[in-house]
Order: sequence, then C-alpha cells, then structure tokens
Amino acid sequence: MEIGLNHYLVLSTILFAIGLVGVMRRKNLLLLFFATEILLNAVNVAFAAISHYYGDLTGQMFAFFVIAIAASEVAVGLGLLIVWYKRHGSIDLDALTTMKG
Amino acid sequence: MEKYLYIALFAPLVGSLFSALFAATPKKLFTGIVGSLLIFTSFVASTMLLLYILKTGEPIHVTMMTWMETGDLYIPFGFVVDQISVTMMMVVTLVSTVVHVYAIGYMDHDKSFNRFFAWLSAFVFSMMILVMSDNYAGLFIGWEGVGLCSWGLIGFWYHKESATWAANEAFIMNRIADLGMLIGIFLVYWNTGTLQYDEAFAVMPGLDTATLTWMGIFLFIGAMGKSAQFPLHTWLADAMEGPTPVSALIHAATMVTAGVYLVVRSNELYSLIPNVGLFIASLGAFVAIFAASMALVNRDMKRIIAYSTLSQLGYMFAAAGLGAYWVALFHLMAHAFFKALLFLGAGNVMHAMHDELDPFKMGGLKKVMKWTWIMMTIASLALAGIFPFAGFFSKDTILEAAFAEHHFVIYGVLLFTAGLTAFYSFRLVALIFHGEERYKIFGIHPHEAYRFMLIAMSPLLILAMIAGIFKEPFFSMVEEILGAAEYHIHSHATALIMLVGTQIFVALAILYAYKKYANKKVMVPDGTSAIENSFIYKLLFNQYYIPYFYEEYIVKPYREISELFWTKVDMKIVDATVDGIAGIVYGTGEKTRQMQSGNLSTMLKWMVAGLVGLLSLAVVFGLAARYSDEILVFLSALGV
Amino acid sequence: MLDHILSLLIFFPALAAVFGFMIQKESMRAYGVSVAAIEFALALWLWYVFDGSVSGMQFMESLPLVPSFGINYTLGVDGISVFIIILSAFFTLLGIGSLTDTKQVKYMIITLLFLQMTMVGVFAALDAIVFYIFWELSLVPMLYIIGAWGGPLRIYASIKFFLYTFAGSLVMLVGMLFMAYFYYQATGVWSFALLDWYRLILPETFQLWLFAAFFLGFAIKVPMFPFHTWLPYAHGQAPTIGSVILAAILLKMGTYAFVRFSLPLFPDAAAFFMIPIAIIAIIMVIYTAMVAYAQKDIKQVVAYSSISHMGIIILGTFALNVEGITGSIFLMLGHGVVAGALFLLVGVIYDRRHTKLMSEFGGLAHVMPRYATIFGIMMMASVGMPLTINFVGEFLSLLGFYQQSHILTLLAGTGIIVGAIYMLAAYKKAFFGEVTNEKNKNLPDINKRELFGLIPLVIVAIWLGVYPKPVLEPINNSVKSIVQLMHNKSTTALAKERIPNLVKPKVVIIEKTIIEEVH
Repeated sequence: MEIGLNHYLVLSTILFAIGLVGVMRRKNLLLLFFATEILLNAVNVAFAAISHYYGDLTGQMFAFFVIAIAASEVAVGLGLLIVWYKRHGSIDLDALTTMKG
Repeated sequence: MEKYLYIALFAPLVGSLFSALFAATPKKLFTGIVGSLLIFTSFVASTMLLLYILKTGEPIHVTMMTWMETGDLYIPFGFVVDQISVTMMMVVTLVSTVVHVYAIGYMDHDKSFNRFFAWLSAFVFSMMILVMSDNYAGLFIGWEGVGLCSWGLIGFWYHKESATWAANEAFIMNRIADLGMLIGIFLVYWNTGTLQYDEAFAVMPGLDTATLTWMGIFLFIGAMGKSAQFPLHTWLADAMEGPTPVSALIHAATMVTAGVYLVVRSNELYSLIPNVGLFIASLGAFVAIFAASMALVNRDMKRIIAYSTLSQLGYMFAAAGLGAYWVALFHLMAHAFFKALLFLGAGNVMHAMHDELDPFKMGGLKKVMKWTWIMMTIASLALAGIFPFAGFFSKDTILEAAFAEHHFVIYGVLLFTAGLTAFYSFRLVALIFHGEERYKIFGIHPHEAYRFMLIAMSPLLILAMIAGIFKEPFFSMVEEILGAAEYHIHSHATALIMLVGTQIFVALAILYAYKKYANKKVMVPDGTSAIENSFIYKLLFNQYYIPYFYEEYIVKPYREISELFWTKVDMKIVDATVDGIAGIVYGTGEKTRQMQSGNLSTMLKWMVAGLVGLLSLAVVFGLAARYSDEILVFLSALGV
Repeated sequence: MLDHILSLLIFFPALAAVFGFMIQKESMRAYGVSVAAIEFALALWLWYVFDGSVSGMQFMESLPLVPSFGINYTLGVDGISVFIIILSAFFTLLGIGSLTDTKQVKYMIITLLFLQMTMVGVFAALDAIVFYIFWELSLVPMLYIIGAWGGPLRIYASIKFFLYTFAGSLVMLVGMLFMAYFYYQATGVWSFALLDWYRLILPETFQLWLFAAFFLGFAIKVPMFPFHTWLPYAHGQAPTIGSVILAAILLKMGTYAFVRFSLPLFPDAAAFFMIPIAIIAIIMVIYTAMVAYAQKDIKQVVAYSSISHMGIIILGTFALNVEGITGSIFLMLGHGVVAGALFLLVGVIYDRRHTKLMSEFGGLAHVMPRYATIFGIMMMASVGMPLTINFVGEFLSLLGFYQQSHILTLLAGTGIIVGAIYMLAAYKKAFFGEVTNEKNKNLPDINKRELFGLIPLVIVAIWLGVYPKPVLEPINNSVKSIVQLMHNKSTTALAKERIPNLVKPKVVIIEKTIIEEVH
C-alpha cells in the first residue's frame, strides 16, 4: 500500500484533533504550549503533503514560516511564562484571569 | 372720528398698565383716580361716537394693522363702530366708570388696591376689544381677555381657597365653551374664506344649511360658556367670590352678556338657521326659569343676584333666539343698569355688615342705610319689570315678541319666571331692609356707604328709572342693521289685557314676598323647619345637585384617571416597555459577559466552539450553493 | 463675511469654547456672556440681512467633503430655519447670562458654547450627512450637562436620553443612506444634498419605508407618544439651564426635521400617514396633559406640558397646508420661548428652596409678587391666551388641520381645556392660598440676574403675540414653496387631495353659489 495524500491528511487531522483537545483540556500553561505546537505541526504536515501533491513549493515554504513563527512564539511565550511563574508562583490557567470582563 | 375710536379703546389699557406699574406696592389712591378718569375718557369718547352714529348712521370702520397673515388667511386688528357695538360700548364704559369710582371706596382698605385697578381696567380694555372688533378672531381676543381678567378678579383675594377655586372653575368652564367657539371660527373660515364679519355674512346665504347650522351651534356653544347658560352655568354663582364691584361689572353688566352680543352680532347667520334660533330661545327660557327657581331659596345675597342675572340672560337669549335681536340688545342694556345698581347696593350692605352674606342675618337695615334701600328697591322694581322702570320696557317687549311669534310655551315660561323674579327680588329686599333687626345679636353696627360711592351709583339709579324712554330712539337706531320689527299683538285689547295682567301678576308676587319676609316673625333658619326639609327646598338649595354631580362624576374621575395615566400607564406600561427593551440588551450583555471569564482555557473552548460553528456554516452554505437547483425543485415539490 | 455668516455662526462659539479652556475661572462668566452676546448679535445681523420675501435658501455655502459620494458641507437658511437659529443664540445668551452659581461654571459655559455650535449646525445644514453629524453631536453636550450637573438620578437620566435618541437616529441614518442610494440609482451620481433630494420623486412604497425610518428618529427627538418617556427624566434631572435649552431648542430639532425632510421628500407618505400621526398627536395632547395634571413636581408639570404642546406642533405640521405648517413653525418658536421661560422660572424657586414639589409651596404670590406676575404671564402664554406668542401658533395649527379633519381637530382642541386645567391647578397650588410653610415666609423676590433672563422672554412672548408679522411672513413664504413642491411631487390621488395646490385660484365657493342660483 502506497502512502498517499489521504494518509497524510488523516494524520494531520488526528494530530490537529489531539492538539485541539489539549488546548481545551490542559490547565497547565506549559502543556498548553505543547498542544499549540501539536496544532501548528498538524497544519505543517498538511501543508507539506498538499504541496507535494500539487508539486507547488509554496506550501512547503509556508510550513517553514510556521516553524519560524512557532519558534519565536515559544521563545517569547516561555519568557512570559517564566516571568509569570516568578511573580505568582504558579502557571495554572484557572488562576490566570486578569482579563475577566 | 377714528381718533375717538382709538381713545375709547386704548384709554382703559393705559389705565391698566399705569396701575399695573404699582401692582406690588402698597395702596396708592391715585391709581384708582387715574384709572377712573381714563375709563371716563373712554366713556366720553364712546358718547362722541354714539352721537356721530346717531347723526350719520354710517358705521366707522378702521383697520389698525395686520395681526396674522398666512396662506389665504388674513386677520387684521380691525375695529368697527356701528349701531350694535356703540350700544355695547356705551353700556360697558358707563357701568365701568361707575364701578371704578365706586371701587375706590369699596376697596379702600384692601392692600392690593392698585392691583385691583390694573385688573379692572384690563377687563374694560378686553371688553372693548370684544365689542369693537370687526372680525371673529378679534372677538376671540376680547373673549379670552375678559376670561383672563375674570379669572384674576374672581381670584383676587387669592389667599382664600374658595376664591381661587372659583376662579379656576370659571376659567376652565369658559375654556370648554371657547373650544366650541374656536371650532365655530374655523368653520367660518374654511367655508367663507374670511373671518371679517361683513365679508363672511355676505357669503353665508350661499352655503348649505347643514354647514350653517354647525357654524351657528358651535358659535353658540362659545356664547353658552361666557353667558353661563345651562349646563355651563355653575361657575357664575361661584364667581361671586370676587369683590362685589367685580360682580357688578363683570358678572352682571358686561362680560356675561358677551354671549348675547355674539348672537346679536351674528344675527345674519342666525337668521338663516331658525331651527338653531328656536333651540337658543328654548334654552334661554329654560335657563330663565331654572335659575329663578334656584334664587327662590338661596341664602346668599350675592348668589341670589347672580341667579337673577342668569335668569335675565335666559330672557335675552330667548329674545335673540326668536329673532328679536334688538329686543335682546335693549334688555341687555337695561339689565346692565339695574343689575349693576343692585350689585353695588349689595356691596354697600356687605360693607356695612362686615361681609355677611346671609340676608336672614340682616333685617331692618332701611333705618341706617336709607339711600341703599331706595336704590336697591328701585333696582328690584326695574328687575321685576314694574312700570315705568327700565325693566318694564325691555322685558315686556320680550314677552310680546314671544307671543307675537306664536311661541306660547316660551311665553308662558317667561311670564311665570317674571313672577318668580319679582318674588325673589323682593324677598331679598324685605329680608335685608325690613322686619326685625336680626343683625344685632351678631354685634354688628352697620353704617351707610361713603357719600361719593352713593353719588357714583346715582347715574345707574337714574338710568334704571328712565331707561325706558330710550326704547323708541334705540329702535330707530338699530332698525336698519338688525332688521328689527316692532312687535305688536294684533288686537289692542289682547295687548292691554296682557300688559295689565302681567303687571298685576308681578305686583302680587311682590306683595306676597313682602308679606312673607318683611314681618317680625322671620328667624334665622336653623334647618329644622318643615319647608327646609322638603324635597323641593333641598333640590333647589343644592342647585339641583348639579355642582355635586360635576364634582363627583367629572372632576373626581378626571383626577383619578390622570393619576392612573401617570402612575400606571406612563410609568408602568410605556416607560417600563422602554426600560424592558433596554433591560433585554443589558441582560444579554450581563449573561454573555460571563464568557469573558478571563480564563484562557474557557476562552479557548469558546474559540473552538466558534470555529466549529463557522466551519459547519461554511459547509452548509457550500452544499446549499452547490445543490441549489435540486433544493429549489424539492421545495417547490413541497409547495413552498 | 456675509457669504460665510452661517459658518461663522456655527464655528465662532465652538472656537470660543476651545479658547475658553484657557480663561481663568473668575472671568469665565463675563467671557461666556460676551461670546454669547456676539453670537446673538451675529444672529440678529443674519435676520437683518435676511430677505424675508424670498422663499428659497439664502446665504448658501458649499465645500466638498467627500466628493466621490457627493457629501458636501452645504449650509443655507430659509424662513423656516432662520428664526430657530436666532432663538438658539438668544437662549444661549439668556442661559449663560442668568446662569446660577453652580460648581464648575467654567465647564458649564464651555459645554453650552459647544451646544450652541451643534444647534446652529443642525438648523443650517443642507446636507444630510452634515445634518446627521450635528444632530448626533448635539447629544454630547446635553449628555454632559445632565450627567455632570444633574440631580440624584442624573446618570440614569442622561444615559436614557442619550441611548434612546441615539437609537432612533441610527435608524434615520440608515434611511438617509438608502435615500442617497436611490438617488444614485435614479441619476447615476451620489448626492447627500437635500436640495438634490427634493427633486427626486420616489415610488410610494419606497416613500412609506423611508418615511418610517426617518419618522422613528424624529419622533423620538420630538418626543412623540409613546417614545416620550425619556423627556420627563431628562427634565427632572437636568439643571435649569439644561432643561431650558432642551425644551426651547433641542426638541424643535425633531419637528423642524419633519418639515425639512419628511414632508418635502415623501409627500405621498406624509399624506398616507397623516391620520395615524394626527391620532398620535392627539394622544400626546390629551394624555400628557392629564399626566401633567397628576404631577406633584412643578418641573414635571412643565416637562409634560412640553409634550402636550409638541402634539399641537405635529398636528399643524401634518395639516399639510400653508396655514397649518406656518402655524406649527411659529408654535415651535412660541413654545421655545414659553417653555424656556417656564423652566427658568422653576429654576428660580428651585435655587431658593432646593425642592420642586408643589406641596412645599403655596401662597408664593404673597412673598414673591413679581415672580408670581411673570410666572402668571408665562402660564397664560402657555395656556394659549390670545395676544401671546403661543396663541398665534396654536390657532394657525388647529385652523390648518381643521381643513383635513373636523373631528380630530375638535379632539386636539381639547388641549386648550386640559392645558388650562393642569396649568391653573399648578399655579393655584404653588402661588395661591396662605403661606403655610415656614420656610417660604422670607423668600427673596426675583433678583436682577434672573430678571435678565426673564424680562426679554416676556417681551418677546407678548411682542410676537401682538405683532407676529415680521416672523410670520418669512415663514409663510418658505412654507408656501414647500407646500407647492409637495403638491407637485406627490403622485397618489390621496396626496393630491390632501396637499393643496397654491397655484390654482380657489373657486370652490364661487362654484357653490352658481349651483344655488341655477336651482
């Protein structure tokens, strides 16, 4: 059996679903970052696969963009996370409600 | 002559404004004197105009300036002095002059002396506008103006609750009638295209009867208010709360006759609609006997005279309604003289008795107040219509007119009322001036009025005696303009029998009144005697329970409904609906803001929910667009 | 300068207000009065150079704002708007001149000057968007006046005032955009200029919808029943000056807009909705008069009486003939003067006793005779006594409507009865009787500053009642052209019947006589 586009898309969807569940369920900020990474990479898989399928390099280029942004995001995000941890001694999401309307 | 016209019109205004300057300051005698002099000036100017009219017979017509002009409507401040208005002007200025001079004495001790003269002169000015205007709008200015002054003068002693209540009642009741008048004016305008009397009357014969009838009815509703005809009559008796000179001038001689003036002025309209005329006459006759009956038992001197005024107004309307406009106008004039005299005499008595109004608490006053006694007796004789006093000539002509027009029911009612009139008038005179001196137990020491007040009254006394001689000259003067006809009963014998019969009937009524009330046995009623507990007495004493009815079934419900409208409808329904709509918006916001918990995890869940929602929408619409043809076929198959 | 007198009138007070921030607190009152006096002098000058015999727009000026959408800064006045502009300048002057000592007088005066800008702007604008901008801007100073200087419920009242009127005018804005779109469809050019819109004849169904959209915005502003409940709160909470300007000028925006927009743009719809609107007007007249009678607070009596009088104005406007519309515009001025004066008068007693409840008073005529006199004059003007300013307007409005419907006029005419009832009752409660309340025994009579505000109003109220011609004539000329425009534009038979044609001579009466003679 040859591994075709559909397999990649299914994989991407499954990864995305895992990431989505993670985003919704996790209460730990660090784990939230992991979940976000999973989401982004799920999309990356789809990009790369579709790019290959159409023989158009734009998708793969876009995947690199996403990787770059994800990296910077993690860098900034982790920085903020550490600051937050130093201030409040916890990175639990439920305690993080200063934006309450 | 225009000069005299303007002097006659504006002299009272000058007087009023002059007195008004000092309205808030303590009494200054000169306001009264200046006011009286200016009114007298007006009287002199009116006399000049009368002489001119008598000489030439030509009306004087001036247009001072434009008042309102818009669209097709043109209303000037125009004034006309013709036979009708000059008669009214004479009556108004003469009685006003007398009352002004009299009031200098009567209001002597009042701290608002200056304010009184400001109002009184303003009233004369309004009345002059009313009678001199050459169009309905100008008439309406005067109409409302006298209403305003009447409000200010009835409520002159504004510290008294009863006075201010009566003032408001008079104003509001007049307003009800004024609405009718206003509608009448609108009708005149939209059907004739003008409000000028002469132009409007020229067009009226070409209009259909229904329109004219409505016009006549609505204008007459206005007259009913001002002349206190049933059912808008209750204010007149209550208006007696005002100072007595006011009652004499406004509520006897001039303002209340404005309604009669209106009908006489619009005679060309009312001649076209005899049915309305008959209604006016019938109502007049009804009011004549209705008011007279209430005067029979009343125990308030001024109210008795007020009812008699009401009754006499009924006579005037009866005459005017039957087309005898000149008779109505003549009775108006004669009545003004003797009724003002009667009121001023009553004012003297009130002064002497320290504002006591119950004639049962007086008695025997003729010893101390000889001149007042003479004046009031003569005025009452004139009122009763005894030969050769003024009332005989005017009132008898009304009876003749009714008889000659074959309205025997009206004739009968009016004749019977003449007897009642004589009875209650002399009941009053007898109770006040004759019999036991019942006032002594109240510790009052009555005194005659100031000499100059009595002198001021003397012109009225003379006129009450001799006004009859003006009948022929008056008739020849107004003959042309009012299309007047002298009323002659065909057979001389009938006429003579009627004349003598009436005189005897009236004289008997007078004698009966004297017999009953001039003796020594008259006591202050204490509510125990049989007659006082009879049904008729109670009915009459309570004015047929009409004021009670108004209070209970109109005033009170109005107040309650107003309260209901405010607290229930406006606050609970209208405003609550608005607040409810606002509340829904607020409430939705209040509910949905909980989404904004600030908790990242919750917000992410909402984000996912939104994402799913949008995606599914995209899918649905995408499918719908793709299969739109099939869907349409399916829907049409379902019959949508 | 004459070419830009309207811009000057609009922006001079605004500019002065900006500079006002730099003025010291002590000299602010003098500054405010002098600015308002100059503004009023400019307004009088406008009247002087205004040609009353011309029916069209005068002193037009135009400056492109968004040319691609046809939005221009277009100004102009005719007989209808010029007097309301003068009245607004007049009231700003009187208001600032007779302003009592409140906190933050400086900011109050600045706010009033801004308000003056928006008021002139609304009445001078001839471009729908410019009109809309000033219309909405006028809410802001008023919101501020009520919210910052008001009574205990001021926040509720000011928010209610703002949101209610704002909601209405948003619907109006949608209407305006549609109107412009229709214009675009018809001509291929975008335009928001009112005078361009006047030339557009819309099909009846469009007219009905657009009329309804505009109606909502205007009706809330007027305020018409049942959209009126914001007004008693606004008046009840606003400081005296706020109530004065609100009653005298701001309410007139709604009725003015009816004459300026609804009638000439949608004549068929106006004729179609005439009877329902007249019924609303009658409800306003009678119902609010009865509510006014039930009030315990004298300011609320005047507030509800405003609604009642606005009913007569609406009725006159929808008479759709020259007499009625002229009368209604004159009554706008009349009611402005009278209601403004009455609110000033209520303010006088409020400053002394800090209460407006009539039960607290009684017998004031003894202690404050001059006050009682002026109040009495204004009360009589409010009741519609002939020879006062209100009578002319009421008489003409009712006269005009009588041509359209007898019964409805009769019902609306009861306004003169119910109006007398609540006014006289209120006057009796406050002024007549003995002085029963100890606190009222030594009240000082009216002072010079208060007289400064009141005497001119008394003079105007009587002057224009006796001699309304200088004002009535220009109004009449402009109204004639509007009525003729409406008649020419109208397409339905109903509208043709209800809106008179002024060109044809009237022959109705003559025809009747001829028929009679033939018989």
